[in-house]
Amino acid sequence: MHNCTETKERLIELVLDGRSAETSELNACAECRAEFDALNMTLRLTSRLNETAAPAESYWSGYHARLREKLATAPNPSHAEKQRRKEKLGPLFETMRLCVRTQVRVPLPLAIAVIIACLALGVFAVRRAETPVAQPPLLVQAPVQVPVVQEKVVTRVVYRDRRSSSRNSRRAINDDAQTESTFAKSRTSSTGEIPASLNGFKPADEIKLTVIKGGSPYEK
Amino acid sequence: MAESDADLIKRAQAQDLDAFCALAERYARRIHLLASHYCQNTQDAEDLSQEVWLKAYQAVQTFRFDSSFYTWLRRITINTFLNHRRSNFFRWRGQSTVVQLLPIDLDDSGELVGSSSASPENIYNKLLFENVVNALAELTPSQRLAFLLRHYEGMSYDEIANAMNCSTGTAKKGVWRAIGKLRARLSPDSHEPEPLIDLASEY
Repeated sequence: MHNCTETKERLIELVLDGRSAETSELNACAECRAEFDALNMTLRLTSRLNETAAPAESYWSGYHARLREKLATAPNPSHAEKQRRKEKLGPLFETMRLCVRTQVRVPLPLAIAVIIACLALGVFAVRRAETPVAQPPLLVQAPVQVPVVQEKVVTRVVYRDRRSSSRNSRRAINDDAQTESTFAKSRTSSTGEIPASLNGFKPADEIKLTVIKGGSPYEK
Repeated sequence: MAESDADLIKRAQAQDLDAFCALAERYARRIHLLASHYCQNTQDAEDLSQEVWLKAYQAVQTFRFDSSFYTWLRRITINTFLNHRRSNFFRWRGQSTVVQLLPIDLDDSGELVGSSSASPENIYNKLLFENVVNALAELTPSQRLAFLLRHYEGMSYDEIANAMNCSTGTAKKGVWRAIGKLRARLSPDSHEPEPLIDLASEY
């Protein structure tokens, strides 16, 4: 089905591409054909302008002479590249140069105060930079086994004969006296050093060991 | 034997002005033609085309032989056109119509006959092409540039869009609008003198 609007949109491309209008669509529709011819003529006119707009040959010798003169006075390509870079960075350098060259009269006390303040700030900044920044403690929850010292109680059981209590009591008194004398001896000898040997120690015949349970959470 | 473009470019990159001028002589007409269609004024066209050559000379070191020299040069030309459009360079801007009559009074050998020749055919020619130039001047600079690149340079819409830094749709619309305006201005059903239309149809 022929659609004039759609065809006219395609006509411009047909004319621009220089394709001939031999499609059946154009031949069937007089309006589209007229539009195609009009567009074709318009573009042919502008193409003719291309041919006639060219200046005369005599013009070109002068044109090239003027161009050569311009090129000869133009900066070299390498210089032009440097100049382009300089132009890009120009404002930045200009500002820096202005900062360096600017002279402002400042009263001496004020200048000294400013210098001292700057120095103090500098020192403060350096010291602060040196101080290690305390890291916040890292909290980790984990079961920890704490060793518990198990107490060992050595109990000496002494069997005593009731009948010889009196004799034993006397012996005990003698023993006490002997002990006391031993103690006195040791004290007298300890003026120098405590004896390192276990002389006089008699181990009991029977040893009862008592283990206190429940010290560790893993102990039954 | 004529030196190839590549040899001339290499010599120009080595700061050989003669080699660059030889390149300019090869392509100056095409660039000048584009410029004269674009700015509609002979003096502006010369200034603009020479500025293109100046820029090309300063940038010739950056040419990497990725494309043809003319493609590279055309890119510089388009950028120069666009920059001048922004900088309000052209003399026709702000004026209703500025027409620089083109040197069409040429004899068969291509020499100028003289502006005094007033044969009917010459008068018609002048009227005809004055009309075409005026029609082109009525386009916006973007439309004119898109039209020139499509019609005279045969560039695709993608290439035009890339060169003009716009979308393909915008480039296509620009060309179509330009042709629509030119058609309205130059077509037989516009209000133009009959002899002009008859003469145009002869071409």
